[in-house]
Amino acid sequence: MPLTEAVLTKRIPTFPWGDPKNRRTVGIDQFMATGGYETLKKAISMQPTEIVNLVKDANLRGRGGAGFPAGLKWTFLPPPDGKTRYLCINCDEAEPGTFKDRLLVDFDPHLILEGIAIACYACQLDTAFFFIRGEYHHQAKVMQRAIDEAYAKGIFGGKGLLNGASNFKVECYLHRGAGAYICGEETGLLEAIEGKRGWPRIKPPFPAVKGLFGRPTIINNVETLAAVGPIVDKGVAWWKGCGCESSVGGPPSYGPKLMGVSGHVERPGVFECDLGIPLRKLVEDYCGGMRKGKKFKGAIAGGVSMGVLGPDQYDAEMDFDIGRKYDVLGLGTACPTVFDEDTDMVAVARNLARFFKNESCGQCTPCREGSGWMLKLIMKVERGEGTTKDLDLILEIAGSMGLTPGTTICGLADGNNFAVRTIVNKFRGEFEKRVKPVYVPVTVGAR
Amino acid sequence: MAWITKPSATQTIPTRAEPYLTAAMKATWERDLIPRYATRHGALMPILHEIQHAHRCVPYQAMIEIAGFLKISPAEVLDTVTFYEEYTTEKLGQCVIGICQSIACEVCGHKKLVDHVRSKLGIEPHETTDDGKFTLLTLECLGSCDTAPVALFNETLHENLTIEKVDELIDRARQESGGGGHH
Repeated sequence: MPLTEAVLTKRIPTFPWGDPKNRRTVGIDQFMATGGYETLKKAISMQPTEIVNLVKDANLRGRGGAGFPAGLKWTFLPPPDGKTRYLCINCDEAEPGTFKDRLLVDFDPHLILEGIAIACYACQLDTAFFFIRGEYHHQAKVMQRAIDEAYAKGIFGGKGLLNGASNFKVECYLHRGAGAYICGEETGLLEAIEGKRGWPRIKPPFPAVKGLFGRPTIINNVETLAAVGPIVDKGVAWWKGCGCESSVGGPPSYGPKLMGVSGHVERPGVFECDLGIPLRKLVEDYCGGMRKGKKFKGAIAGGVSMGVLGPDQYDAEMDFDIGRKYDVLGLGTACPTVFDEDTDMVAVARNLARFFKNESCGQCTPCREGSGWMLKLIMKVERGEGTTKDLDLILEIAGSMGLTPGTTICGLADGNNFAVRTIVNKFRGEFEKRVKPVYVPVTVGAR
Repeated sequence: MAWITKPSATQTIPTRAEPYLTAAMKATWERDLIPRYATRHGALMPILHEIQHAHRCVPYQAMIEIAGFLKISPAEVLDTVTFYEEYTTEKLGQCVIGICQSIACEVCGHKKLVDHVRSKLGIEPHETTDDGKFTLLTLECLGSCDTAPVALFNETLHENLTIEKVDELIDRARQESGGGGHH
């Protein structure tokens, strides 16, 4: 049964259920008048492990990019020992093309806070850090106001989780980042909260065992936590009714998902859809088609790290199988940037390479050096000074960096690898037109 | 190997008699920030945000004072300041124009905005005008790709930008800063 009503966007008018013009930030009174914090009431009447099992059964896969099952992540925590345990909410959202979490923070911050409260109760975590990227100035203010309201209404603080009804209390703090993409990587995020430079940590130990300030820590994406409430409220069967099964024998892609479409479409924006919706349907039905009726040329699958879909992959299903089926890294944040027929793909490759060069944290040599050299080579090709050998060199550098070849600590380099490699491979002709061929002299007949 | 070295041992840093960290600021942080974090080091980023906001840079003297307050080494403060883009050691202009240069904004025409501001203000990206009024930055994704091209004017995001809108915003910023800055 597909999604029949807005769930994550219940209070945020979104096509086809509402008009984005009518969006207003939902304060706590309006939130509670429309069923808000009722789910938290239900949750605290349950045993914490019941909630963890519920989320595990629902197979809620993380919405931040990797698609790791959230319930499973929660079970990695050791049993409570009476000392501080942390929940870190990842609202770094610095992946180019991605703007879905901003929608939730902008208009329905309490939906997130309810999810945070439920997750904290379920996992017995007593301190939550809401990590929001530095560039989200307005959103940080909205969130801080919502947190203050939640304290005043007995959700957080000394008399928190519904005015002490749960015998459990949670502190919730906002922590602003300061403009570093790498802090969206979960251990880089922990370093940033500790006040240090955002260098990702070597795992193991995993954050669930030894995370923030050396204590057990769960890190979840904003949208993941926003989905926890509806799962507790509506149940596992409903959740599994949305989305789709895997068609390649992998883990399923259940539930509704926020998808943010940008680029050359008539009506860009965030939409709530079933996972598995074909990209063509998303563009044609939700976004009013390609801008000015132009032809589809390609799209970034979901945040630039995922790589691009080629002109023949317009019908790609937006679910967690996309990586296996269409030679991209994965679904990522499910926020495609769409390109029309006039787009210069060499320029796109240069833009993405520049992004990764700027945002590499500099800790691992293959990423720090490789990202710089790839940018130089692509710029050389863009200027028309490259050779076919340069294209091979680009692919060689790309393939040598990241977690897949095992040369870096975190996945930033894999993003760089996939972004560049998929563009060069899927639009090879366009690159070859810009470079000079390399002739290898061959002598025939002579000895 | 040729290393580019700076004589840091003999380098002097600009100082002023009045401390950057007042007793009132320290008391507020001690009450509101320090208890949140398990280590004093944890409070560093919010403190740096406050200093950067007040002075449009993080002066070296302030770094030393913060290190003293947090009981960490000045090098650790410098480490964090130089890692994050929002903290600067050079003073920024009164109006910081941060134009998004990531993919959605590029395909929707960010370049003409950057070129326009460059020629209008006579500065390159990451430079400040001589009168200290404007700084131009090119930033990576600002998370508003559906309304590309976008730019931050100080802390306010402006969407669906055109050259006319940018002109208007620059003129408004110029009027607002007309009375001369503080500090």
